[in-house]
This record gives sequence, C-alpha cells and structure tokens, in this order.
Amino acid sequence: MACGPNRVRLLCMLSLTFGYFIVEVVVSRITSSLSMLSDSFHMLSDVIALVVALVAVRFAEKTRATNKNTFGWIRAEVMGALVNAVFLTALCFTIVLEAIERFTEPREIDSPVLVATVGAVGLLVNLLGLCMFHGHAGGGHGHSHGGHSHGSKNKKAKTSQNAGNGSTVDETNNLVGNHNSPGEGRPTNELNCNDDTEVQMNGNTHYEEMDAQQDSSQLNMRGVFLHVLGDALGSVIVVINSLIFLFVWRPCGSDKDCVNPCVYDHDSHLPVNQTMLPMKSAGPCWVLYLDPTLCLFMVTILLYTTYPLLKESALILLQTVPKQINIHRLNERLQRLNGVLAIHDLHIWQLAGSRIIATAHIKCHDPTSYMEVAKRIKDFFHNEGIHATTIQPEFVTFSSQSRDSLCELSCQTQCAPKLCCGTADKQSSEKKVSGDSRSGAADPVCPESEAKVTVTKEAESSL
Amino acid sequence: MLPLSIKDDEYKPAKFNLLLKLSSWFRSILADKTSRNLFSFLCLNLSFAFVELTYGIWSNSLGLISDSFHMFFDCTALLAGLAASVISRWRSNDSFSYGYVRAEVLAGFVNGLFLIFTAFFIFSEGVERALEPPDVHHERLLPVSVAGLLVNLVGIFVFQHGGHGHSHGEEVSLVWTRSDNITDFLYGLWSVSVCVFVSVCVCLSLSLIIFFFFSVPDQYTPGKGSSKQILQGVLLHIMADTLGSVGVIISALLMQKYDLMIADPICSMLIALLIGVSVVPLLRESIGILMQRTPPSLDHVLPECYQRVQQLQGVYNLQEPHFWTLCTDVYIGTLKLLVAPDADTRWILSQTHHIFTQAGVRQLYVQIDMAAM
Repeated sequence: MACGPNRVRLLCMLSLTFGYFIVEVVVSRITSSLSMLSDSFHMLSDVIALVVALVAVRFAEKTRATNKNTFGWIRAEVMGALVNAVFLTALCFTIVLEAIERFTEPREIDSPVLVATVGAVGLLVNLLGLCMFHGHAGGGHGHSHGGHSHGSKNKKAKTSQNAGNGSTVDETNNLVGNHNSPGEGRPTNELNCNDDTEVQMNGNTHYEEMDAQQDSSQLNMRGVFLHVLGDALGSVIVVINSLIFLFVWRPCGSDKDCVNPCVYDHDSHLPVNQTMLPMKSAGPCWVLYLDPTLCLFMVTILLYTTYPLLKESALILLQTVPKQINIHRLNERLQRLNGVLAIHDLHIWQLAGSRIIATAHIKCHDPTSYMEVAKRIKDFFHNEGIHATTIQPEFVTFSSQSRDSLCELSCQTQCAPKLCCGTADKQSSEKKVSGDSRSGAADPVCPESEAKVTVTKEAESSL
Repeated sequence: MLPLSIKDDEYKPAKFNLLLKLSSWFRSILADKTSRNLFSFLCLNLSFAFVELTYGIWSNSLGLISDSFHMFFDCTALLAGLAASVISRWRSNDSFSYGYVRAEVLAGFVNGLFLIFTAFFIFSEGVERALEPPDVHHERLLPVSVAGLLVNLVGIFVFQHGGHGHSHGEEVSLVWTRSDNITDFLYGLWSVSVCVFVSVCVCLSLSLIIFFFFSVPDQYTPGKGSSKQILQGVLLHIMADTLGSVGVIISALLMQKYDLMIADPICSMLIALLIGVSVVPLLRESIGILMQRTPPSLDHVLPECYQRVQQLQGVYNLQEPHFWTLCTDVYIGTLKLLVAPDADTRWILSQTHHIFTQAGVRQLYVQIDMAAM
C-alpha cells in the first residue's frame, strides 16, 4: 500500500518523540533546570509538526470528491508542507531571539553531565527519525511525470478512441473519485488507499494514482524531514556545548573569593582595581558564547534548507503554472492544431504533486466538427502530462471573421467587467453591441439581455 | 562615414534599477488605502521596537531586549500583510496566469499560523514561569508599557477596529516587576525622561501617519473584499495584543490586592488560549480557499443552478462541477455538459453562463460533450 509506510513511519516517530518529550519534562522537574524545560517545548513543537503531517497524510488519502470539496482533499499535503515550513521559520526566529539574549547575558550550564546525556538520547531519537524519512528527502524519487506519462499515454489514446464520450470520464477518474450527479454525497472510505472503482475504467489509472500520491506526499515528507533535521542539529549542539563546558570550563563552585568576569552582575559593583589581590575567576569566557554562536549557525542551515520547501508549496497554493510547463510554447502549439482558430483564457495550475489542471476557451468553426477537434486537444494535453482539462468551445459567428482572438460570448458594456474574458474585448464589444437593442439600463442582471442578443443573432444566421 | 553611436541605455548600472524598483513599490504602497494604513502602522511599530531595543541595550535590561524582539516578530506579520497587499495587485504573466491575487489568502493564512505559534510560545512561557518563578528584575517597564498602550490606541484609531500594541512576552515579565515598578517609578528622574523620549518618538510617528492620511490622495479605491483576509489577520494580531494588555492589568490587580503570585502565569495561559481560539475562523476560511473548497456563500445556490442547467433543452446531464474561490469574491467554475447531438450548443453555452453569472461565478468553463447516437 502506498499510504502504509508513510503513516507507519509517522506514527512511530510521533510516539518516540512524544515519549522523549515526557522524559525531558520529568527530568527538568527533578533537576529544576530551565533549559531542559525549554528544550522539551522544542520537542513538543516537533510533535505538533508530526501531527500536522500525519493529519495531512490522512486527509490526502481521501481522494474521493465530496459535496464541498469537489477536488477531494489532495491539497492537504501541500498545506501540511507549508504549515511545517512556516513553523520551522517561526522556530528559527525564536531561537535567534534566545541566542541574542544569551549573547547579552551569558549563562552557565548547571549540570552539564545530565544535559549531555539527555542531549545524546535526543540525538539518537532524531537520527532514527532521519533514517526513517531519509528516503523522502528532496529529490528522492525521480518520478518525473513526463517520463511516466509517456508509458500511459499510448494506452490512453487507444481507449479514448474507443469510447466516444467515455474519454472524458476517464480523465477525471484519474483526478478524483467521480460522482455523477451533484446532489449525491458518497461516504468516504478512509482506509481505501488504492481506489478500486477507479481501476475499472482504465488499467493504468492505478499506477498514476500511486505515482501522483507519492509525488505530492513527497512535499509533506520533506517538511517532516526538515523538522527532524532541525531537531537533530539542535541535539548535536546541545551535546557539543555541554561536553565542551564539562571539560573546558572552570566553575567557581562555592568559593567566596571567586568572581565570574563573564557575567555582568547587577548587584555587585566591583571596581576593576589592579591593586587588589588576584582573585580566582571562572573559566574562559568564550565557552559561554559558544552556545549562541552554534545556535545561529544552525539557524542559517535550517533556513537555507527550508526556503525551497516554503517557496514550492507557496507557489502551488498561489495557482502558478507548474515550472515544467512553458505556457507560451504550449499556447503556440495548441494554436497550430487543425480546427483551432484561437485560444484565450488559458489557465494551467497544479492541484498537488503531478496533478495538473488546465482550462481554456477554444474558438472553432462549427459544432459539427467540434468533437474531433476536442479529441485532438485532449490528446495534446495528455501528451503534455495534463490529464484534467476543461475546454469550452466557442463557435465563430458570421460577423467576427476578423477578430479571432476575442470572446464569442458577447455582452453589453455593464457586463464587461464581469465577463470571463478579459478587458481586451471590452472596447470591441462596446462597438459591437452599440447597434443592438438594449433592455432597460437599470437592469443589473445584464446577461439576460446578452442571451436575447445571442438568440436574435442565431435567428438571423439560420435564415 | 558611419555614425558611431554608443547606446548608453544598455550599460545602465544595476543600482539604478534597484532604486527604480523600490520607488515603484513605494508608490504602489501609497496608492491604496489599506496598504497605506499598514505601512504607517508598520513604521510606528518598528520605531517603537527600535526605541525599546536601544533603551534595553543602554540600560542592559534583558526583559526589554527580548520584548523588543517580540515586537520585531509582530512586525514581520504586518510586513507579510503589506507585501501581500502590494503583490496581489501585480498583473498576471506567463507563470502566474491568474495574477497574484491569491497572495492575500496566503498572507492571511501565514498570519494565522504565526499567531498560533505565538499563542503556543506564550503558553509555554506561562507554564515555565508557573513551575519556576523567575527572579525579580529591576526593570523600568512602566514607561514602556504606557507608551505601548499609546501605540495600541493609535492602532485603534488607524484601523478603526483594533489596535496593535506591545507584544505579549512583555506582559509576563511586566507583572513580576509590578511591585518593584511602583517604587522605581517613584525614584528615577531619568525614568521620566525616558517617558518623554518615548512619547516624542510616538508623536513623531503619529505625525507621519497623519501626513500620510491627509496628503496623499486616493488614486483608486480597491474592491471592498480584496484585502479582507490581510486586514483580518492584522486585526487579530492587534486584538491579541489588546487581550494581552488587559490580561496584564487584571493579573497585576490580582497580585497586588490579593497577593496571588500564580495569577500571572495563569493569565498568560488564558491569553494564549484566547488567541488560539480567536484565530480559528480566519484559519478555517483560508484553509477552505486554499484547499479549493466550493465557496461557502455558493453552497445553497449551486444545486439550484445545476437543476436549471439540466432543464435546458438538449442537456442530458451535468457532470463534474468544480467551483472554487480564487480570492475573496472571485469564483471560478468548470463543468461538463452531456448534450444531444442536435442541440443548439451556442444557446446552451450562453444560457449556462447566464445562470451562473447570476449566482456570482464570473469565470466559468463549460465543456460540451456530445452523446453518441
């Protein structure tokens, strides 16, 4: 099962981390060490990150469309990745705050041995987590969908030629569990990872499903991996710091004669007087500044590795054109297809992973030749790796030979800003409808008159 | 003789372009009312944070330094909102076929996440202080908190709803020093001078805001819903700070009158819970939009529309409707119609568009599939 390993790994890691968090809290209460308590809260944030990832994985398995979420919950994984990335950034920020606090007011470690052992155990836990999630680290799977879709597109072309209108049902079966009438709401089956009803339409939908799921969950797992990496680095720093502290630092102990020159004491205002007796002073000061420096170093590493994940998930959520698709070239090649007069309002965006959705308005000659043109367009998009397309046909009216790139759905001026087609047609549609009869100008629902206009035009054309 | 011409345009230094970009961003900020407000408030907050930082370094007070950094953290939320309000107005291009309008939803979501993180942080600090009461520092936080309340009031004035004051970490340390602060305040002449210094800064920023308000005219008013998400996020941030201040006052009163030392951590934990709860609606809305959910305002209208479309002559079936929100009040839909081979496609198309435009969906893509005879 494609979902199995991820969930099992996440659950394992979650239980380990949570257990370790409890241990740290208990130890901090016993030794009343504040730093251990704050470190345990870092562990808690790690637990929360894992919970977020787990929730996202659980949700994303529900690929069936529901009444409210017609695309299913596939996007949950991208969201999980974004949430993790944002939490990591916020965590880095707080670490920077604490490090700067330590710079201004250095603090000794109370019991370095205990801190070292707890840090080492934490490091072990995190290394285990790193091994578990390492396979999902950035660029683990080389599932370039271009390569994969070539294998499936041949089969798809054959099946789409056989079934006349079944091909449309094919594609969207790949995308989501289809439900035919909008009024129905099917209960989702949570444990059903590989949807059997989707296999029945097309043999290779199965593989595409798995592949797409793996691709999108990759983003989520990358977020988890980065979080665990950050924690591992933190544990490494704790261990290194406490060991150096243990061996290099000469503590003051209970000596009354000893003074700590590194820490600015508000109460005692001892003048630096060279004629006084040489007092014992605590160990080299640079040891106290090692902790914040290492922390800053770790923060830069974390931010550097988190930024690509943040950028990628944010770009998907901003509805960008996927980076592997050159929309300009696609537009040109689409226009060169037989039967396609013009294209406008082409939008391509990524739902999650390798599921790409495209919508466009295509201008064609007449309805009779439309079905072949539609097939050609669908095949073209399948070749590009876009399997969920919605093409709206627009048919040339008798009067619009010269303005090929404009929208055919005419409208009066007050509808123009509300139209799907952009402002390019605004001026020409103004000129176009100036001669037409217009119903009451106070009518806010303008498309009513639009329909009338179109109907009259068709009545004219049929004569 | 061939004329030798050197095109100086090609050899422009890069620095010139950067200045040009910055000035164009600045102009874009000043053009819109919402981003003007955000910018001026961000300036106010930043200046206050810098004042706090310098004072903290000067008097070597840890609480003030950490509090100033908390304020910088809040400034990043404001900055995110400002960036989103500028970015969402950029025009669409090859990579962003819908333009950048989704940026505001994303900014609202990220702000909500930051707020949850802050609530978590305050909660953990409260727990720490409950388990291990900190030493009482001699920090002169009272003048700073007074100035913070002033900033809060200014924020209320600017945003007409809420105010953004000092951040939350400060309240926790403030209460512990409350009893000391009274004595301190009674002492220092120089604490009064700090007060004066801080209020001068506040007045300066106030004048900046007023200058922005009245001098730069509104070039164009954006749609009402276009910055809703951003403002909601910022407003929640402001409310969180107001809650913090109120909580501080209550806990201080409790501590002084009834000598309940535990009041401070409990207050911080309550504040954290309140912040978390108040952020939930914003998060739910942004998550719904980002997950491509059917717009909630269309939930009742859509089944009606489907019925009307299916009753059109020649339409057999309506399949795979997908309706989603691009940004506030902009809805996009796709659907597939199974029609009879002899149906009037143009009429069906225009009728369908009409039906859905009445419902509020401006961008609609209707695919026509002819049933095989």
